[in-house]
Amino acid sequence: MKEEAKLMDCTQFKEIYQELDRPGTSGYRFRERALSHAEACPRCGALLTEGEALDFALRNLADSSARWEASPRIEANLLRELQQAKLAGSRQRVRKQFAILGAAAAVLLALGIGVHQRITSGVRTNSLEAANGIGSPTTGTATGAVAGGSTTPGESNSAAGASANQADDNEYAEDFVPVPYADDPAASEGGAIVRVTLPRSALASFGVPITESEGTDRVSADLIVSQDGTPQAIRLVSQENANSDF
Amino acid sequence: MDDGLLLRRMIAGDEWSFTLLYRRRHPAIYRFALHMSGNVAVAEDVTQEVFMTLIRDVKKFDPARGTLSSFLFGIARNHLRRRWEQDRHSVALPDDADELETLLAACAGAGKGTPSNGNGRAHAPFLVRRDEFTSLETVARVRQAIATLPENYREAVVLCELEEMSYEEAASALDCPVGTVRSRLHRARALLAEKLHDEQPLRRASAVGE
Repeated sequence: MKEEAKLMDCTQFKEIYQELDRPGTSGYRFRERALSHAEACPRCGALLTEGEALDFALRNLADSSARWEASPRIEANLLRELQQAKLAGSRQRVRKQFAILGAAAAVLLALGIGVHQRITSGVRTNSLEAANGIGSPTTGTATGAVAGGSTTPGESNSAAGASANQADDNEYAEDFVPVPYADDPAASEGGAIVRVTLPRSALASFGVPITESEGTDRVSADLIVSQDGTPQAIRLVSQENANSDF
Repeated sequence: MDDGLLLRRMIAGDEWSFTLLYRRRHPAIYRFALHMSGNVAVAEDVTQEVFMTLIRDVKKFDPARGTLSSFLFGIARNHLRRRWEQDRHSVALPDDADELETLLAACAGAGKGTPSNGNGRAHAPFLVRRDEFTSLETVARVRQAIATLPENYREAVVLCELEEMSYEEAASALDCPVGTVRSRLHRARALLAEKLHDEQPLRRASAVGE
């Protein structure tokens, strides 16, 4: 016994004596040696006794407090909180679903508007192509309207073979007249009608006859411009109640 | 049914699983808070806050980092610290000492004279007069001595001695290395022995003599 006790000195004993009963510790591993040392060494023996007394007192306290529990009120509060959290969670889910549905509806609406605009612009392109075809120099008469043009009965008695087209509610336009240097009809395909305001004197360059006194006025006209930018045909546009000047 | 399963069911909205989990885990949290604060109202508030946090932020619990128990003790510790920062004098026992004594007295009957010796803890050949420590007075003395320990030491004593946690479990709850827990516990025990010895010697002579 004394031989074993010599294997542990007081310093080592003090290191481990508080955990002799705690599994997994070095104190637990060297428990027997520590006890032997304590038997042989009065000072370490006293330490061990004090430690055991403390262990005992602590276990008493632990046992005394083992049945301490929070009041049932806390459990009730927590259950209420859990129910509210559950409710809030389901509300959040519903809100999320609404948000997703709203976003989907917005996307569908945007798509619908896009498709509608595309169809409308397709119709406009067709109208333009129709206008180009009508304004072809080969026919000799440009009868295409810019947009929604229709013959106004009251205005059609001015010239035979020339129909007045209503380009707007307030304006009237004559038929397109090919300009003298117009290319072949194919050149105007894919072109565009451009509204211009120009001095009346400039009309002469498009082959429109003018008198000298009219030279300073400015007039509106629609030009059919080919893809390369060359004017192919022209028509004058006059406001309501104003008669064509040529 | 383990904690993980109960927790998953709780997340799915099962109230009964939460109730089971609460009833299983709350006494230790409550005791820890009460030993640490010495105040029943604070202990109840902290217990409630711990489980409220579990309900609201259950995703913060990561099983890879420790057990649910350690997680809950960690939350309790944070709440206690926040309280102490708000009201520093709430650590002091005297105001609530009477309340605690009443509580201890109510519980004394069951554990009287038969401290748990489970856990494989065998007594050393040195005999201690147990009846000296089974009295309510002694229990109160020990509790008050614990209450006067510095916070870090008190945590180590409450978790390792009163809640019988291993060093590893306590380290996880206290978010510190195992070695730190061990050294804090050693120092805390030495301080406790000193305090108890100063007040009234632990009668080693008679204990050893028998």
